[in-house]
Amino acid sequence: MLSSSLDLATTMRHVVQLTVPRLADLCVIDLRDREGAISELAAASADGELSTRLEELRSRFPLDPAGAHPVARVIRSGEAELLAEMSHELLRSFAQGSEHAQFMIAGRYRSAIVAPLTARGRTLGALSTLRLTGSEPYDQGDLQFVCELARRAALAIDNSQLFRDVQAVERRLEAVLRNLAEAITVVDGAGRTVFANQAALEFLGLASPAELAQAKPGEIMSRFIVLSESGQELELDAMPARRLFRGEPAPPLLVRNIVRATGEERWVIVRASPIVDPETGRMAYAANVFEDVTQVKRAQLAEAFMAGASRVLASSMDYGETLQRVARLAAGQLADWCAVDVLGERGQLERVAVHHDDPEKLALAELLDRSYRPTLDEALGVGAVIRSGEARMFNDISAEALASYARDAEHLRLLRQMGARDVIIVPLAAPARTLGAITLVSSRNGRRLVDADLEVAVRLGRRAGTAVESARLYTERSRIARVLQRALLPDSLPDMPGFQIAASYRPAGELDEVGGDFYDVFPCGGGSWMLVIGDVCGKGAEAASVTALARHTLRAVSMLEMPPAAMLELLHRTLRQQEPEGQMCTVCVVVVGSPGVCARLTIALAGHPRPLIVGPGETASAVGEPGTVLGMVDPITVSEVAVELCQEQTLLLYTDGVPEAARARAQPALAPEKLSARVHGLALQDMLQVIETAAVESADGQPQDDIALLGLRLAEAGGR
Amino acid sequence: MSAEEQLHITARQGPDRLILELEGELDMVSSGLLEEALAGADLDGARAVVLDLCGVRFLDSTGLRAIFRVRNAVRESGRQFAVTQGSAQVQRLLSLTRLDEHLQTIDTPDAAVLA
Repeated sequence: MLSSSLDLATTMRHVVQLTVPRLADLCVIDLRDREGAISELAAASADGELSTRLEELRSRFPLDPAGAHPVARVIRSGEAELLAEMSHELLRSFAQGSEHAQFMIAGRYRSAIVAPLTARGRTLGALSTLRLTGSEPYDQGDLQFVCELARRAALAIDNSQLFRDVQAVERRLEAVLRNLAEAITVVDGAGRTVFANQAALEFLGLASPAELAQAKPGEIMSRFIVLSESGQELELDAMPARRLFRGEPAPPLLVRNIVRATGEERWVIVRASPIVDPETGRMAYAANVFEDVTQVKRAQLAEAFMAGASRVLASSMDYGETLQRVARLAAGQLADWCAVDVLGERGQLERVAVHHDDPEKLALAELLDRSYRPTLDEALGVGAVIRSGEARMFNDISAEALASYARDAEHLRLLRQMGARDVIIVPLAAPARTLGAITLVSSRNGRRLVDADLEVAVRLGRRAGTAVESARLYTERSRIARVLQRALLPDSLPDMPGFQIAASYRPAGELDEVGGDFYDVFPCGGGSWMLVIGDVCGKGAEAASVTALARHTLRAVSMLEMPPAAMLELLHRTLRQQEPEGQMCTVCVVVVGSPGVCARLTIALAGHPRPLIVGPGETASAVGEPGTVLGMVDPITVSEVAVELCQEQTLLLYTDGVPEAARARAQPALAPEKLSARVHGLALQDMLQVIETAAVESADGQPQDDIALLGLRLAEAGGR
Repeated sequence: MSAEEQLHITARQGPDRLILELEGELDMVSSGLLEEALAGADLDGARAVVLDLCGVRFLDSTGLRAIFRVRNAVRESGRQFAVTQGSAQVQRLLSLTRLDEHLQTIDTPDAAVLA
């Protein structure tokens, strides 16, 4: 009895009741508190009434700890007292007043034993037994028995107080733990969770501590998919608490935690510390602290994702390929499945990119798109998002919602097979219009899509939209540029009897601007031909208009059968009259005489690099006399030089893009001493190709100027 | 590379002249800076403007045109215009276009400029 219950008041009530009526007519236990005051803890009497009245009396007249009352004396001395016969006088001598004395006398107090409640050397209080008039007075035998009873009672009281103290500490500790924002659990070596604070219960998805208590080891963990930062599934053994039990170091671990039931995703830092049993000195428990860093980690991942996406989007002007890479990135990091649909020119939706890590799912997505491509007018989904320009998120898509979206039974079957739970659709938004939509889907066993994902997706949509718009404009501009450029160049080179002629033209790296290079080949009377190559300073529309002017002026004046130098002088005059002032143009004109064993060439240069004559086994030689560039200064000096072009020789005209391409290198593409050997034996068109490639390479693949080449050879002996 | 990274222009006053020292590449990207530099310069008391081309490592036709636009503007304001000799590539382009014949070339930025 005394060891079975730890509730002090209850226990002591049982103790005093045990003594009545066999050992005592009235039994009282008084305790001394920390401050030394004495208060009654339990009382019992045969009739029940006397003890009730005593309790009432004690509360009105507390015993003076320093007074003469036997209880006070015994508590002070620690020695039991046997008051075998108590006279009225004796009773009055230790009464707390006349009412107290009257109570004892009227209660017919006769004999008493007061035994100290002593445990671990401290007197906690006193146990008093009383016999009233009519009962036998106490003797020494009774004294010993009561003292033994008091000793046992004292032990029980002591244990109970210790337990109460421990409980108070635990309650305070638990209150602290409970109120912590961090989830805290205590697990034992068998993997059983023995404690979880409120935050931990919520974190673990438990309704009550009872649910925790009933869980089998590992059962709670099995409710989660626990992934490492890099996405590998983590075994329970990898958790810090388990490592501690194995005696291994257990640094904090960042884990991605997905609730299996709901797909909710959280990023958590798990820290574990050992709880050592003071008696055995061995680790008994491990305390886990779970710090939820989802928001921080999400923001960090979102930034990293956007940075990655921006890099991809900026890497290429080929937007089909770029969007495919974006889809792959998004499918890997945001959702399970990502598709990009773009609005075509006739209002049709075109799937330009789709990705799922699982090839089977990808095939399914492709099949779904082929058979049930979204349309612009659909009430929900991609079409609706493109029409409204508003992003949408659908969570926990129900079977009914899926059924109402499906166009027919087969569509519904495929949609179900996709297993979409959450869907985000965001507009592919260019600054002025919506170009299409990006769809992100998470499936049944993947992570949930939440508001934070929607935000990231909206940003992705804007970033990708801008990139697609730029790419489109760029493509359009380069298309226009190419059309324009062709207007400045002959559609095809004419047939020059007795000669081979070839040209190559490579606009500079950026396709969006019309270059200033031009060339032309046309007959100029008297059986002669004229080859023209030139370069107008600058780029864009202004340069293009000067280029057109130069080309058409030279074509027109060639009809006048003027000497080439005079033609250039005339072009110079024309340019000087142009607005704005200072349109500069370099030109090389070659008049080609009739073909024979050799052909006579008359060369006139105006600021243009000297043409080369490339022959077999000899150094290529530059021909012509430098002349003043056109359009800049007056007067100009242009001279004509006549040379011969013979069999197996090539006349090579080029623009300064060819030597200029080599600006970064010491070795120009047209180093005359190497050129002949390099192009020896090549067909004319191949030769031009080799030179162009060399020029591009010498500019590290990105020449800043256009590269134009024009080559002329006599037709090979024996016909062409 | 931006225009400023490609070409650095320092304006310096001589006793009778404004000297623009060019350092870098004068081409399609950077040639606008030269005309801006002249427009922003203080020509009070300057009898001449000298372009110091010593530090020009590369010149293209756009740069050449910019030099002549500056030359024309300076001459229209009644001042003399001169350049110092540039790199081999600059000289090659000037002689190829025969524009060297239309420029007064002086040995150093402070050498005498003929009327």
